[in-house]
Amino acid sequence: MGNRLTAPAWISRGYGRWRKKKMAWLAAAVCVLSAALICAPLLMIPGGSLMDGTEMKRILSPILGEGQGFAVWHLIPLYPTIDHFYRLLIESPAFYRLFWNTVGMTAAILLGQLVVGLPSAWAFAAFRFRGRDFLFGLYVVLMLLPFQVMLLPQYIVLQELHLYNHPAAVILPAVFSTFPVFIMYRGFTQIDAEILEAARLDGAGELQIFFYIGLPLGRMGIQAAMVLSFLEYWNLVEQPMAFLEEKAAWPLSLYLPQITIEQAGFAFAVAVMALIPALFVFALGQDALEEGIAYIGVKS
Amino acid sequence: MRFDRIFQKKPGSKTRNKTGNKTGGFGYAVLMLLCAMCTALSGCGGSQEEEISMGRYADREVKLPGAGYEYMHPCADGGYYLFGNGVDLTHVAADGTVSREKWDWEKNANIHVKFSYGVSDDGAVIFGYTPMFYSDEEYEAYAAEGDNRYLYYYVSEDGDRQPLNLYGADYKKATNLERFAFAPDGRVYAASGSCVYRINVESGETESLFATGEQVREFAFVGDTMLAVDKEKAYLYDMAGEKPLSDNTVLNEFVASHQNGRIALAVGEQTAEEIQEGGSEVLYLACRTGLYRYVWGGSVIEQIADGQMTALGDSQYNPYALQILPDGEFRVYFSGNYMAELYYDKTLPMKPSKELAVYSLRENGRVRYAGRLFQKEHPDVLVRYETGMDGDNAVSREDALKNLNTRILAGEVPDVIILDDMDMEQYADKGVLRELDALLAPYEEEGVLYQNIVEGMRMTEEEKIYGVPMTVELPLYYGEKKYVGDMKGLDELAAGAEFARAEHPEGPLIDTPYQSNLFDLMIPLCLPAWTKEDGSPDTESLTAFYQAAQRLWELDSAGMSEEQRRKWQQDVADLSNIMFVQYEDIYNIGETWIALGYMKNAWYGMTNLHTRMENYRNGYSTYKTLEDEVVYGRLTGQAGNVYRARTIVGLCEQAKEPELGETFMELLLSDTMMQKWWLEGHFDGGLPIRKDSLVSLLDFNNRAFAEVKGWTKQEIDVVYKEMFWPTEEERQWLFDRMEESDCYYRKGTFLEETVREVGVRVLDGELTPEEGAKEVERKTAIAMEE
Amino acid sequence: MFLLPGLSGVMIFYLFPFFEVVRRSFFQSGNGAFVGVDNYRAVFANGAFVLAVRNTLLYMAAGVPLLMGISLFLSLLLRNLLQRRRLVSAMLLPMAVPAAVMVLTMQILIDRQGVINGVLTHVSEKITALPAFSAIDYLNTEWALVVVICSFLWKNTGYMVILWLAGLAALPKEVEEAAQVDGANRWQSWHYIIRPGLSGSFFTIGMLSVLQIFKSYREVWMVAGSYPQERIYFLQHLLQNWYLKLEFDRMAALTVTLSLVLLAVCLLLQKKLG
Repeated sequence: MGNRLTAPAWISRGYGRWRKKKMAWLAAAVCVLSAALICAPLLMIPGGSLMDGTEMKRILSPILGEGQGFAVWHLIPLYPTIDHFYRLLIESPAFYRLFWNTVGMTAAILLGQLVVGLPSAWAFAAFRFRGRDFLFGLYVVLMLLPFQVMLLPQYIVLQELHLYNHPAAVILPAVFSTFPVFIMYRGFTQIDAEILEAARLDGAGELQIFFYIGLPLGRMGIQAAMVLSFLEYWNLVEQPMAFLEEKAAWPLSLYLPQITIEQAGFAFAVAVMALIPALFVFALGQDALEEGIAYIGVKS
Repeated sequence: MRFDRIFQKKPGSKTRNKTGNKTGGFGYAVLMLLCAMCTALSGCGGSQEEEISMGRYADREVKLPGAGYEYMHPCADGGYYLFGNGVDLTHVAADGTVSREKWDWEKNANIHVKFSYGVSDDGAVIFGYTPMFYSDEEYEAYAAEGDNRYLYYYVSEDGDRQPLNLYGADYKKATNLERFAFAPDGRVYAASGSCVYRINVESGETESLFATGEQVREFAFVGDTMLAVDKEKAYLYDMAGEKPLSDNTVLNEFVASHQNGRIALAVGEQTAEEIQEGGSEVLYLACRTGLYRYVWGGSVIEQIADGQMTALGDSQYNPYALQILPDGEFRVYFSGNYMAELYYDKTLPMKPSKELAVYSLRENGRVRYAGRLFQKEHPDVLVRYETGMDGDNAVSREDALKNLNTRILAGEVPDVIILDDMDMEQYADKGVLRELDALLAPYEEEGVLYQNIVEGMRMTEEEKIYGVPMTVELPLYYGEKKYVGDMKGLDELAAGAEFARAEHPEGPLIDTPYQSNLFDLMIPLCLPAWTKEDGSPDTESLTAFYQAAQRLWELDSAGMSEEQRRKWQQDVADLSNIMFVQYEDIYNIGETWIALGYMKNAWYGMTNLHTRMENYRNGYSTYKTLEDEVVYGRLTGQAGNVYRARTIVGLCEQAKEPELGETFMELLLSDTMMQKWWLEGHFDGGLPIRKDSLVSLLDFNNRAFAEVKGWTKQEIDVVYKEMFWPTEEERQWLFDRMEESDCYYRKGTFLEETVREVGVRVLDGELTPEEGAKEVERKTAIAMEE
Repeated sequence: MFLLPGLSGVMIFYLFPFFEVVRRSFFQSGNGAFVGVDNYRAVFANGAFVLAVRNTLLYMAAGVPLLMGISLFLSLLLRNLLQRRRLVSAMLLPMAVPAAVMVLTMQILIDRQGVINGVLTHVSEKITALPAFSAIDYLNTEWALVVVICSFLWKNTGYMVILWLAGLAALPKEVEEAAQVDGANRWQSWHYIIRPGLSGSFFTIGMLSVLQIFKSYREVWMVAGSYPQERIYFLQHLLQNWYLKLEFDRMAALTVTLSLVLLAVCLLLQKKLG
């Protein structure tokens, strides 16, 4: 692509560049502002986790207790204490157990979704068969249905399969969830059809196409699906509550009881601990996404 | 779609054939899958006839020679020691003779509360306590080295007492030793939250031996090895060589998988065969899941008694100590002052063949206790008692009910269901509950129960009874005649309150520090009157209710500023945390001029209405001395004679064991259950609805009364406290009140929640009573619609 | 045959239960009697159902476009920023917070005696020029829906931004660059190049937004209870309350209806947006 300049273009180019820069800064400012706005309420959490009971009572009693006046919030606690973290990390062995439960469960689910959902998404994207649209629509609808309506029949199914009260009761249905299929499908449809056709003409088998072309090119969809699945299953509440009776196998999201004033600081501490792995995963996921974007850019 | 272009008809293309046939293959595959699924699902389950093997461990209760024990130490000869905070060292010999050491400590030693104990086989005692101080200087001196730290005392076998000042290179004064143990060789070991020490009781020198992750709760001595068990693992220490030993993975695994509750240990002897094989000692472990046996050094821990079928599985008790008796029997000492002996009974089937499923939303001690009694009486039945929520995690009431409903809709119905805090009428409507009229008929004929209470539970539409309460609570008032006189209804209550306020402008009026207390009090009295026939709320009566509530709250608040009220609330909240309270600091806790509340038990009678009025400190005995001025009576509101029902028992349709369910209900309604629970020391929970039980419970003449303890700064020799038993008249009064109670207050309805929520806003002044009533109507409209 | 393992699992855990729901929608809940379409009739005639549908549709009509619009706008801006990784992570954080804590945070802010009211009251007292401000009980007035929508946007923006970014990244850059050099301005490049390329993403993100609307029920329930203010009484409240009353037959009928509607909409959109 050559640079085609018209007569006064050099002027407009200079001006355009300055304008572009200003626009870029404006854009950046808007983004930063939005991110800040979104994060702002979350700043309460680390502050709150360091607050001790008395201060918390003073602050929260208008809301949770029967105090008068308005609640105020101090971003930085006046009398910080690491009591809550101490209690959580040192005095509650249950926390670690639940934490690793959650990690294990989420990892198993994500892995399963890769193994099962990935080929399904590919099938929807790469092949054409009768009823495909209808089946896909069905998948979408199943994805949208709230869990409550499926609670009873899934319970019956799980009982029949003797899976009730076993972690598999939560993991297996999640593995077969149609949600990741949906997202990965999107990623796959963005692959250029010509590449596939070329491969086929070259005599490649379907499996090879899938592994050598589909996977790398559809990476972004896969990674997006993984990150989003992680978010969903890390904080999963309803399924474990319904299908897992054994409290030792519960995930972290079920640890917190109804929050009263006494518990508020502790709850915030739990939230901080729950956020840390999430941040970690975001970082990973983002990096992978970045790579994917760069890769595609290069490829073209 | 981009792919469309690829797959357009291209004659002779291999690709097309592959994909073109997909439809047919697809359908075939689906069919196959369905078949596979059906076979898999239907293939589960197949019954075989099994031989019933016999013999298992059962338990019998052992009566303890007193109350208030917290610690038991078994002696080798089959006797044991008992000790605790507030009691003296008691020795029970193998033949049952009881001997007590009379210790008159408190005056000399300033012992406030004892927390940790250790007793040796010969009767030497070491314990840790928190002291009490009468002067600030003493307290300062003590607190300088650590607030709330324990001080220690050692009593030798001969009775010599000496305070122990523990010191050591690794020992900090502020460390609290929670557990002591005397080893067979005479040395004393102790455990704090993070370390195990050895103590020289002569000199007080304390040496740290090894660190532990959590508080070690149990010690056991196997030959020269000490075994210390905390929540996570088992630690082994060589006492002769004075060094820790490597871990025993079998024990560690056991401890890690039995973290729920304590594990009691005892070391016993081998059977003849095992000694021949060259084994060493045997360790017995008792925990919630059962009694286990471990040959020391072996690789297997064997279960010999199942927790569920013995007292070990009772979740209200924790096994604290285990003693091995001859003939394969065991004695287990539990928390809650309970002791049981386990013995092997060959006549019982090894596994119960039937199961009784009992469900309640929250833990109900009475039902759990009845479950164990039932299991004892019916050895071939296992009682599985499930609670929907234990309050300690994210399961809310709605979630628990959803889980229950899931099971019910799937066909897994419990046999007996306790309907507290559940909507009985809804479940009855849907046909989940059985009618109880037929079952209750014999009770009616013999006039055993207060029939009016039973009738109060009858559902209006269907005219059938679906649930029976075990106990009820009655609302009462109590105060000076001029204020409460012959009070009937909310208006008179408000008028009396105004009069009282006029005479006493300062201080609280009724004992309601929080708004929710006021609602707790008033709502049960009025709720039944709020629903019209068609089920919609009656705004008029709601308005009247809010008006009365507002009036009372304003009167109460007129006597104190907001600051004072907040402090009052704070003090009340703190009272549960503070053990020792200085009276002047608390702002008039419980000082009320009109006492209102619910009579929850027959023993304390009026005094559980918090009636510490100025000058009238002790409710009932005060009443006796002021008979002319102070009266009491039944509190009524907008509804008639209301009672609060507790432990409402219902049976489910299509339950698996209907007859067992009926038998269980009979047990719950029996005299034994109604009385026994009380006599075990659980005083809360209501008055029994069995006439004979109530009469027996009020028969004080045959009972010993517990001691009353108090402290004072002054030098006093004798304290007089006048106690009065209720007279015949007064007893009859109570019986009459029970007879006339006929209005059932349904707890936990949505209407109540809404009234409370909106009520808070009415009391805060945000809404007027009329607006409040309308708001309630609006909110419940949706609920009605559904 | 790639599809087979996934499909079999889906059949067992989702389709089979769904058929069970369909089956139960024709029977009565208490005694299992066959009642045909009576349940459907009961559902449609139910006043609470009408209210719930109206509210849910309103919520969706406001929430979904707003969410998609805002997140699209942000992603367009973020596209060219180098530091976007951190910003996007920041935006994703609300999704990782446990529900109970998020609810507590919301309560702290919007309660009648909460922080927002406190700040506004304080401000209006200080600046006498403004009219007096009296504390609004947000959750109990018409503001409730606004609160719910705001919290919905707050939580899900990051989620959608990631997806838009992925979709945008797949567009070939050269076409855009060429157009810009040719003098096309922002609006033209958007209208003719970017938007058509994103049509697939529109479908995905639209569906996911709807999914998130359904999922947001639990937080709304934790904050406002089973019977909240009229405007925020959604379909799921109805479903849950019916569940608690053991009226599974109506639940089933409602579910089947809902599924059919969703299926129709989905198929339609698929055809349009590909």
